[in-house]
Amino acid sequence: MRRAFLAITGLAASTTALVVFKGSPSATPVAQNLPTAQPVNPSGPGTDPSAAPDAPGTDPEAGAPTPSTSAGAPVSPKPGKTTARPSGTKATTKPPSAPRTTKAPQSTTRRVTGNGFDNEYGYVQVQIVVSGTRIIEAVALSLPSGGESDIHSGDVSNRYDGKGGEVVQKQNANLNTVSGATETSNSYKQSLRSAIEQAF
Amino acid sequence: MTYPHTHAAGRRTGTSSRHGGRSAAPVPPQVPERRGPGGRRLLGVLLLVGLVASVLPWWLGTPAGSLRSTAATVTAAGRITGLIAGYLLLVQVLMMSRLPVLERWIGGEQMARWHRDVGATLLITVLAHMSLILVGYADLRNQSVVAEVGTLLGDYEDMVSAFVATGIMMTVGFSSIRAIRRALPYELWHTLHLSSYLVLLLGFGHQFTHGAQLYKPGPVRTGWIALYLLVVAALLWGRVIAPLAFNLRYRLRVADVVAESPDTISIYLTGERLGQLAMLGGQYFRWRFLTRGSWWHSRPFSVSAATNGRWLRLTVKIVGRHTADLRNLEPGTRVWAEGPSGTFTAAHRVRERTLLIAGGSGITPIRAMLEELPPGAALIYRASTPADVLLSRELDWLAQERDTSVWYVIGSRNDPGPRQVMSPDGLRQLVPDVARRDVYLCGPPGLVEQSVRALRRAGVPRRQIHLATFEL
Repeated sequence: MRRAFLAITGLAASTTALVVFKGSPSATPVAQNLPTAQPVNPSGPGTDPSAAPDAPGTDPEAGAPTPSTSAGAPVSPKPGKTTARPSGTKATTKPPSAPRTTKAPQSTTRRVTGNGFDNEYGYVQVQIVVSGTRIIEAVALSLPSGGESDIHSGDVSNRYDGKGGEVVQKQNANLNTVSGATETSNSYKQSLRSAIEQAF
Repeated sequence: MTYPHTHAAGRRTGTSSRHGGRSAAPVPPQVPERRGPGGRRLLGVLLLVGLVASVLPWWLGTPAGSLRSTAATVTAAGRITGLIAGYLLLVQVLMMSRLPVLERWIGGEQMARWHRDVGATLLITVLAHMSLILVGYADLRNQSVVAEVGTLLGDYEDMVSAFVATGIMMTVGFSSIRAIRRALPYELWHTLHLSSYLVLLLGFGHQFTHGAQLYKPGPVRTGWIALYLLVVAALLWGRVIAPLAFNLRYRLRVADVVAESPDTISIYLTGERLGQLAMLGGQYFRWRFLTRGSWWHSRPFSVSAATNGRWLRLTVKIVGRHTADLRNLEPGTRVWAEGPSGTFTAAHRVRERTLLIAGGSGITPIRAMLEELPPGAALIYRASTPADVLLSRELDWLAQERDTSVWYVIGSRNDPGPRQVMSPDGLRQLVPDVARRDVYLCGPPGLVEQSVRALRRAGVPRRQIHLATFEL
């Protein structure tokens, strides 16, 4: 019995510790981004400041002019897509991806984590893997879970995530909303948008 | 005390031991190799690794900093406890699987003790899992916990069976609290306890339909299912296949029933191929005597003589209705045995020399062990009256053959003589090097408790004290 008591105490303590470690504010998404985002800069610190003004994804037109900046550097392999983007009628936010193609198409990949968004079902946070100017993979770090949410989150994740998901296909945050998971789809898009803004 | 001396003595000398008090073994059996604690440590490490591995998917799948709301934190804690509970349930079943390997490595008694402790832990963990998830979900949906229970039961697949499983587990857990268990008839308690297999079945579904780490196909889900299959396989092997193989091989039958004292009988069993039976003195089997009235009743008894290739013997004190029917066993009755089990054997000693303390009919496993202990053992045999001394002619013979010192300590536990002997000083006087010996204890609970206390005060380390307990 004494051992059972010790075991229960031990498990309670470690469960608390696990939750505290994962939930501690020091490990917030922002803090996490700093180290991952930094590798982005080495090529040219100059590009960074310009990215910041772009950031407000709400304004589609703001990004449009930037394509001019192409310094003649070999354009990344997906011109077809990038052109489609600005013209895309529904394009609301995605301009940044096309313009930034100018940067040398270094094949260095980097991971960028978007801001997290709460909705009534849970917390959503998206991370993208960027190679050069292209998103090559998207991962939802967190989606609402528990009960039915698991199923909806699964749908969302199946549709958007991965190397062949909708994010990679579209290269922007104008994703089709997953039916039955409107809130989660929207939070996903918001988080993705913020990741894209940080990345380019 | 119950029987007058003269009567008892008369019966005993008249009937005991057709074999003239000698073992039928042509040569005294070999002293078995020590087994050491390696197996137990290995299993302990494996189980701990498994525990960590079961929580790992949660750790890897949860991004740092994502637990910002209270609801998320509480739900996360609920998931962790859920994973732990799922794992502990499998450990619980595994420990009761009677898998021969586990019986060899750890032994049934130790296993039962672990099972008890893990059981209490499991019950608390399941309750924590349930309450944390309920509170977390209720908070997320802004409804009361009671309403959340309704939602879970109504809208979620597999949750009704999960709640039933929890109910069964609580019943089993509470009925196993010592005080409550003592008040219940054994059969009722046992039936209740058997229903815990239902927990395994009913709790299975909800882990996969709702478990955040398990609903997605992938290595985690596959691994979790593999664990389940593994445990079920162990259960089948230990509880069905191994006993079946054993009984088909040895085909045990009652050969004779002999009175050793007014309230004690010896049952001799014969069978086929007994020369190949790998059993150590001091081990026990769970016996079923296949007669109309008692085939369903499985009883643990020690074997009271070392293996000799020709017969097995159990010596049983008749107490109450559970054992009364054994007097009337007919020769030829088939016997179903499960075992051998137990770590109360010469192979589990940690030192070279031993002290054995027996009380009343507790002599039976010790009598069997004596044949396998290295020479130089010491035996203290406590009995209330001379009539309660069993197998004394065999003990005298073994004392000579195996160079064993035997002291009979007769009298009530409050008599000055026994009290003196069973005190730390008394033990040290009798056996000056007691602290450097393994001590094997078998007897009524009072004697065992008193002796353990005295031994500890006499400086015997805990790991050198071996207790024979069939159940807790």
